[in-house]
Amino acid sequence: MMGEVFAAIDVGSYEIALKIFELSKRKGVRELDHIRHRMDIGSETYATGRISSLHVDEMIRILSEFKKIMKEYGASHYQAYGTSAIRETKDILIVRDLIEQRTGIHIDVLSNSEQRFIDYKSIALRHDKFEKVLEKPTAIVDIGGGSIQISLFEKDTLVATQNLMTGVLRLHTTMEQVHASRLKYSELVSELVNSRLSVFAKMHLKDKKIENLIIIDDYVSPIMQKIRSGDDGDGFATRDEFNKIIKVADEMSDYEVAKKLGIPEENVPLLHVASTLIKCILDATKAENLWAPGITLCDGIAYEYAEKKDYIRSPHDFEQDIIACAQNISKRYMGSKSRRETLKKIALTIFDSTKEIHGLSDRDRLLLEIATTLHDCGKYISLVYLGDCSYNIIMSTEIIGLSHIERSIVANVVRFNHEEFEYYNSGSEFFDGLSREDYLRISKLTAIMRVANGLDRTHKQKFRDVTVSIKDRNLIINVDTSADITLEKGLFFNRAAFFEEVFGLKPVIRQKKLM
Amino acid sequence: MAKGGHKKLNEFDFENPKLYINRELSWISFNSRVLSEAEDASNPLFERLKFLSISASNLDEFFMVRVASLKDMINAEYSKLDIAGMTAKQQLDAVLRDLHRFVDHQYNIYNDMLIPLLGKEELYICDPKNLSDKDKDYLSRYFDEFVYPVLTPMAVDSSRPFPLIRNKTLNIGSLLKKKEGKDDVDFATVQVPDVLPRVIELPQEFEDETIRRVVLLEQLIMAYVDKLYLNYDVITSAPYRVERNADLSIDEDEAEDLLKEIEKQIKRRQWGQAIRLEVDKSIDKKLLKFISRELQVDDSEIFSVNGPLDLTFLMKVYKLEGFDELKEHSYKAPQAVPEFDKGEDIFEVISKGDILMHHPYETFENVVKFVENAAVDPNVLAIKQTLYRVSGNSPIIAALAKAADNGKQVTVLVELKARFDEENNIVWAKMLEKAGCHVIYGLVGLKTHCKITLIVRREEDGIKRYVHLATGNYNDSTAKQYTDVGLFTCAPAYGEDATAVFNMLSGYSEPLSWNKLSLAPLWLKDRIIDLIKREEEHALSGEPARIIAKMNSICHKEVIAELYRASCAGVKIDLIVRGICCLKAGIPEISENITVRSIVGNFLEHSRIFYFENGGSPEYYASSADWMPRNLERRVEIMFPVENDKLKAKLWHILDTELKDTEKAHVMNENGVYVKQSAVLPEGSKKINSQKIFGDEASKAVGELNTQNSRVFVPEMNPDNRF
Repeated sequence: MMGEVFAAIDVGSYEIALKIFELSKRKGVRELDHIRHRMDIGSETYATGRISSLHVDEMIRILSEFKKIMKEYGASHYQAYGTSAIRETKDILIVRDLIEQRTGIHIDVLSNSEQRFIDYKSIALRHDKFEKVLEKPTAIVDIGGGSIQISLFEKDTLVATQNLMTGVLRLHTTMEQVHASRLKYSELVSELVNSRLSVFAKMHLKDKKIENLIIIDDYVSPIMQKIRSGDDGDGFATRDEFNKIIKVADEMSDYEVAKKLGIPEENVPLLHVASTLIKCILDATKAENLWAPGITLCDGIAYEYAEKKDYIRSPHDFEQDIIACAQNISKRYMGSKSRRETLKKIALTIFDSTKEIHGLSDRDRLLLEIATTLHDCGKYISLVYLGDCSYNIIMSTEIIGLSHIERSIVANVVRFNHEEFEYYNSGSEFFDGLSREDYLRISKLTAIMRVANGLDRTHKQKFRDVTVSIKDRNLIINVDTSADITLEKGLFFNRAAFFEEVFGLKPVIRQKKLM
Repeated sequence: MAKGGHKKLNEFDFENPKLYINRELSWISFNSRVLSEAEDASNPLFERLKFLSISASNLDEFFMVRVASLKDMINAEYSKLDIAGMTAKQQLDAVLRDLHRFVDHQYNIYNDMLIPLLGKEELYICDPKNLSDKDKDYLSRYFDEFVYPVLTPMAVDSSRPFPLIRNKTLNIGSLLKKKEGKDDVDFATVQVPDVLPRVIELPQEFEDETIRRVVLLEQLIMAYVDKLYLNYDVITSAPYRVERNADLSIDEDEAEDLLKEIEKQIKRRQWGQAIRLEVDKSIDKKLLKFISRELQVDDSEIFSVNGPLDLTFLMKVYKLEGFDELKEHSYKAPQAVPEFDKGEDIFEVISKGDILMHHPYETFENVVKFVENAAVDPNVLAIKQTLYRVSGNSPIIAALAKAADNGKQVTVLVELKARFDEENNIVWAKMLEKAGCHVIYGLVGLKTHCKITLIVRREEDGIKRYVHLATGNYNDSTAKQYTDVGLFTCAPAYGEDATAVFNMLSGYSEPLSWNKLSLAPLWLKDRIIDLIKREEEHALSGEPARIIAKMNSICHKEVIAELYRASCAGVKIDLIVRGICCLKAGIPEISENITVRSIVGNFLEHSRIFYFENGGSPEYYASSADWMPRNLERRVEIMFPVENDKLKAKLWHILDTELKDTEKAHVMNENGVYVKQSAVLPEGSKKINSQKIFGDEASKAVGELNTQNSRVFVPEMNPDNRF
């Protein structure tokens, strides 16, 4: 039986791309078409924060044509994402609305962390070799125009991720600014990159050994895909093999490289930058193997959609990566592991038992879990201004896999766990960019969080087994503990009042004393 | 056996102009081969008329485009030498010298061979002056009734300047003297109207008459010319015809720098400059002087001929009713393609495996059906096609419009720059647009010459792409006359590439890589050179190395130089080139291993097929491109591999049979002269006419199929449920 045809659109900094996919349970994700239109909106928005009307017109023309192409394949759904260039546009709401009015295509804006997560997800979903590669310590390097993201994995789990401002276009522009000659090119790029990498290495690598490097980029990957295709899969090379390939390219003129590799000549300098960058990372991580699976954001969009619609199943638990990432942040700010585990357990129990009442989604459950994980990160800076400091830390840290809004929700929940709740019409700056719905999610999650926190007021983890039930207008929290919970009970009312305000249920503690 | 491995490849200068033939002269030599078919007594008489007519219309085009171009170069003082090291002036001189000889030869054949033979068949082209009174009465009435009303005679005197004589029209010039008045001589001219048939058949004198007689329109007007100038005495009259540099665009065959040079000098370019004047040999000297002075042609551009001007009228004679026995019938009509002849759905058939068709031996109908069926098939989502030249009442255009009407997404690239078809193409491009198709009006600076159709269909199994790739245009009428090959496939690799081709034609970026296709102008030339080089390397390392390449023309210097190099390395190279060939075969030490042959026959050889031995695992390609600079550098062209063994065998058979052709093949000797094989064939040798063989084989294949199926009844399907 046939699946559906899906279109993924990537409005990138220097290219608008459309990919058409066929999704089915039997064949998974199959690419049908890949259309690219070169359009440099990045240099404009990075400099001015705006997209000129000339470019908007061009985008409208291209997206209208994309719409026709989608029709040619009978595409039933699409997802269009704008990345950094769109993100940095000040009047984005107006531009998006204009484009939507004229083309019928709605563009969602991806945060850096979401974008990286989608990229990463698509490798995992597309390649069965992913799990095998990840058995050994691995770094995924996602190279964009403006920045790169390095994510480290150990035992199949994300342990660290870091954004570095050494994107290919940015490095290339710098080279042009200093009028670097072709001979000096790799030397200068290496110098620039290594200075940033050494900081990263000190922070995250320490004496860890990285075995494999997975590369996501637009210049080296297509070449690796082309010349390293064989029985053992596409785009694999050892460090020595990779070095040999770039050495050959280094010795040829741009024209010869373009001809030999079948790429546009204008891409050759960028290819040199990207390959030098990769070489530096290989050297810094001492990785022995390189894999360029050749995926694009459009692939990621499709895999994400296919996973959501159950066309494909992933052997890898992506939520676990997001949680691991949050745990690493908590660790960095000296959060207490046992405390966050208790809090998480109680909060999730309440969440799961009150599903019918709160009507929140699985994704919100994940946000709650992250909020509990990061609930005390601000204490690293100040015990007095715990809420505000936590909020600031969360808002300035990238949590891979979360959108900007989701991160803001988590930060607010953590903040209101400690500070007084502010209402939507209070004009609070903390709600900037959030909708009414987001606000309601914050209030509901805060209510749950506060109750959970109230049960562990003394941070002694007195409650091991908690069950929750609803009776009349009460939320009955049954706790199994032999400890003295006078303090918790006494102070519980303060924490519970907000819950009652939000859900109309009064939380009540019932202690079932253990013998 | 190839002479092997020259060790000092680097010693030679393969680009030395002495190793090349000038392309214009090579073209004239091609047209002489066409003319030789008019000479060939083994051809039926009417076919010989047709070949003479074709040679004349070819020549007209050559003048308007190529001779005009040479004159442009001279006017622009363009000093760059051609492939053979000649200046524009040297070329023009040589070309005109050869063309005078050529035209003389045409009229020798006309007067000395064909007219007497027509006489034997009792068909006479008569001069009205020599007819009986009864015939003259008939012609006089015909003149008064049909001809006179559409004539516009124009006199030239001090108040009336010399009129514009339209390109390629036939005219009659007269010198006149007023009946009453001074002795001044005036000039007047009248155009032979092209709205009237040029060949007028006379009524038969009595019943059962077997003799047929025709007069030519210009002769008729000449006979009654005094009726046009009533107050004058007509001193003398003669027909004349002028050809002008009428092409508004500069010929794309020219080098880029020349185009720029000419554009710069565009103001100096004389639009509509006369480049050739044809007159009857018996024209009055004074009259000729007057006309040639007014038209500003010099002596070398005046062609005085012994017979009717503009021999293309012979095509009209060819079409006279009767005389069927004097025409060619031994070539089979297009046959059904066995794979498609079982009444199955066309998409199902293609799904079973690639199909290679050889036109016109196998019918082009399936290509038309491919688009027609797609237009009404509810599962088809999109149709994309490139169109270069299409027939007047094209069923393909109708099908595309219908498809759009049925809600399919139809994208058509219409090449507006197809020479001589521009106006035609604009008309139906607009029609398609009106019907709801997405029309791309060609690409800026490039002609889209590739022939490709892509159909996207939604099937049980998902989206499936069907592709047709061909060497010839989507033109159902020329497909009956041109030999071409076309491939149907639904292999995903071809489908992906075809999609990428249309994405590029729509202005999107090139794909990250190609699976099967090579495209000009970006990759094809390098690909061809690489393929030749690979053979060279194989030859040098002692492995089997051979190239067979069949095309219309070859004049790309870099490619030819590479072929010379390969020949030196020991690669055996056989070229089957119908038209222009700037490569010289058989030069000692340079091209000893290269043979060049040209097949000029009943059908126009048009397919481009390339064979590369590849060290024992041969590769076959077909292409829309010749090995000419315009094809490889200024056009969008496609070369596609044919990979199925059965289809490879079919291509091998085509090449092999053509290499063995003894009847219609002309082989280039070491002096660059083409020798017709039938003329030098030892007596008693087996005669091979490749075009006849292909026709017979196609017919036999259908016959075999019919015998196989003769016991099976095939019920006709309800037309409504067909898809």
